[in-house]
Amino acid sequence: MKRLPLEGIRVVDLTMMWAGPYATHRLGEMGAEVIKVEAPRAWDNVRTLFPIPGDEPWNASFYFNDYNREKMGITLDLSQPRGRELLLALVAKSDVVVENYRADVLDKLGLGYEALRAARPDVVLVSMAGFGKTGADRELVGFGPIVEQMAGLASLTGYGDDGVPYKTGISYGDPVGGLAAVSAVVLALIQRRRTGRGAWIDLAQRETMAEMLPEAFVAASRGEDPVHHGNRHPVWAPQGVYPCAGKEQWLALSVRSDAEWRALCEEIGAPEWAGLALAERRARHDELDARIAAWSAPQESVAAQERLQARRIPAARMLDSDSIHWDPHLLARDHWDFLAHPSTPPYAQPAPHWRLHEAAPRPRRPAPRFGEHNREVLCGLLGVSEAEFAELAAAGVIGEAPVGLVIG
Amino acid sequence: MRVLEIGGGVPAAFATRFFAGYGADVVRSEGPPDALTRDEEIALLAGKRRVGVPDAELRALALAADLVVEDGRPGALAARGLDPLALRAEKPALVVTSLTPFGQSGPHAQFEATNLTAHAAGGILSLTGVRGRPPLANGANQAWKLLGLNGFAASVTAYFGALLHGEGDWLDLSAQECAVGMLEFHGPRSAVDGLPSPRLGNRTTAIWGLYRCADGYAGVCALQRQVKALFEGIGDPELMQPRFLDPLERMKDDKELGKRVAHFFSDKSKAELLALGLRQRVPFGAVLTPRELLGSAALAERGFFDEVATPEGVARVPGRPFLGLDWQGGALATPAADTRAVLRDWLGAAA
Repeated sequence: MKRLPLEGIRVVDLTMMWAGPYATHRLGEMGAEVIKVEAPRAWDNVRTLFPIPGDEPWNASFYFNDYNREKMGITLDLSQPRGRELLLALVAKSDVVVENYRADVLDKLGLGYEALRAARPDVVLVSMAGFGKTGADRELVGFGPIVEQMAGLASLTGYGDDGVPYKTGISYGDPVGGLAAVSAVVLALIQRRRTGRGAWIDLAQRETMAEMLPEAFVAASRGEDPVHHGNRHPVWAPQGVYPCAGKEQWLALSVRSDAEWRALCEEIGAPEWAGLALAERRARHDELDARIAAWSAPQESVAAQERLQARRIPAARMLDSDSIHWDPHLLARDHWDFLAHPSTPPYAQPAPHWRLHEAAPRPRRPAPRFGEHNREVLCGLLGVSEAEFAELAAAGVIGEAPVGLVIG
Repeated sequence: MRVLEIGGGVPAAFATRFFAGYGADVVRSEGPPDALTRDEEIALLAGKRRVGVPDAELRALALAADLVVEDGRPGALAARGLDPLALRAEKPALVVTSLTPFGQSGPHAQFEATNLTAHAAGGILSLTGVRGRPPLANGANQAWKLLGLNGFAASVTAYFGALLHGEGDWLDLSAQECAVGMLEFHGPRSAVDGLPSPRLGNRTTAIWGLYRCADGYAGVCALQRQVKALFEGIGDPELMQPRFLDPLERMKDDKELGKRVAHFFSDKSKAELLALGLRQRVPFGAVLTPRELLGSAALAERGFFDEVATPEGVARVPGRPFLGLDWQGGALATPAADTRAVLRDWLGAAA
């Protein structure tokens, strides 16, 4: 079987919540050996964000288990000297460390880049604080929605008739930062391969988010402020999201040309409008929207999508967080996988979406239970004796259940 | 490293932009003249060389490259004599990345698509906007950008794999699949309980939302461990009661809490709220515009923006996505300006 790109690379994963774990999940999918490090008193908050029934709710979080596959998991209390020593011993045997602590935390733990480099001279450290390690905003703290606001995206999103900016319905800044972190890791590894030098990457999630709207900065350079277009296109018309039969069923469609417009007019039974030029379509967009909505409202969204696609008009049924799992196209592409996990029943989880045609990655390892791989990593990889393993557990340096559990 | 960009839409142009900044020789083969707006051209093409060549020469350039990134319709590349599998057979170390709305296979692979329709198929649209109004698309073509960002990260990973193991691969990335796997907790929760998540507008909860403030809009996102500090910062003694402090009790009174938070925000400026967040160690944010960000002292201190000279004036665009590796902002070439030089540099005597 063809090897995955990152086979042979070991990653120490000090990340929590979503941005960092999203990154290390991708690294794991691409073949890296990822070892996630939590602490008995400082676990990944996503494990306990929502109340989950059962004896070990921290192991049964679907949210955690979805985004932490392809990783091993250990616990180390980094506030204790022995915890830090063991972490450095692990770093000495690893290629990469990824962390998304608040900007000052790693240094305060005595585990900054110089300390890691002393353990592993060519280590690649990727720090991904919300606002970076330097600069006047470095002490601000933020999650994905905050990052989105502070990077300009929220200012560009709105219906256009009320002046209200909108946040994305997910913490969009997190996976965006995570994807950038993956590229940072790999670029640094390429440099290391070429020069023998490691690197310290200072990734500010606010900046990686701002990368997602570069053309808006070109407009801003001319002194322009954002204009909310709703779902309309700044040039083409009509474009929008239209109601379909059923609760919260919608169809997105775009008309990019006069030919597509004529085809749409034929489909919706509006031949009298077929000759409208783009300028007229833009001027009468409200009127056109009403007519299209009258056509779409009694139809199933799938049927409307198929009818428009048959005429080569861009149209797509809006999928929601449930219907994504039943979309025939994604099913045909074998996008969902039901990976067994000891603490949760199987449910549809996304397979690796970076489809390498030949290496063909598939889900291999479920998310780790809390401290699941303590023995394998500490004794097997780092040579900790059984006697010391027991001492570490007794001292609370390691553990297999969170201490002081809180929800939220 | 040599990177060939074929196709010319936002996804491929966005993906290869970062390679150019980090030192690769990126060559763009022009797509249709309207594939990019002028602002997108300025933002995405600086630092690249631009060629206009017939398909036979394009094929030769592809075989001279380490990475080919394309965003044409499935099968279009093969129809031009650049079948990814054939290219890979001739040059096993080559990485080819194909970026499409729905991927290379499946019943929707040949669907006509735009950023909006791809966004709708990816699920994020369903979660954005308010109930009672249509779902709302993000600004700045995020379906295409997300596809491009995945294209960059996946391509550099596959290229590193080729360096390590001697073999490249053909990457098939779809905008839809890039999105459906990142619906935060909504995706896995719905997979478990079969219920779609509703659109919640600007407030997921009272302490995870966006509010009007004295000079615009600002937001707060607090975890349970930050709630006490948040309420202390707000200074409303009513909030220190268990019904607001306890995470489960709080949900029962979330609407009332939202009103109290909204009232607090209403007469504070963005600067005041950011300062409060700093003081209380609670995540506060402010809705800033790109123009405000161009004036940000913090971003200037970090050297975030590059300048791109154009006949229309100098544009300032996001530069390096992160610090720690050498980055070089580049100039904007005109279409096909570098054809002769690239054929010479990449194909040598064969040119």
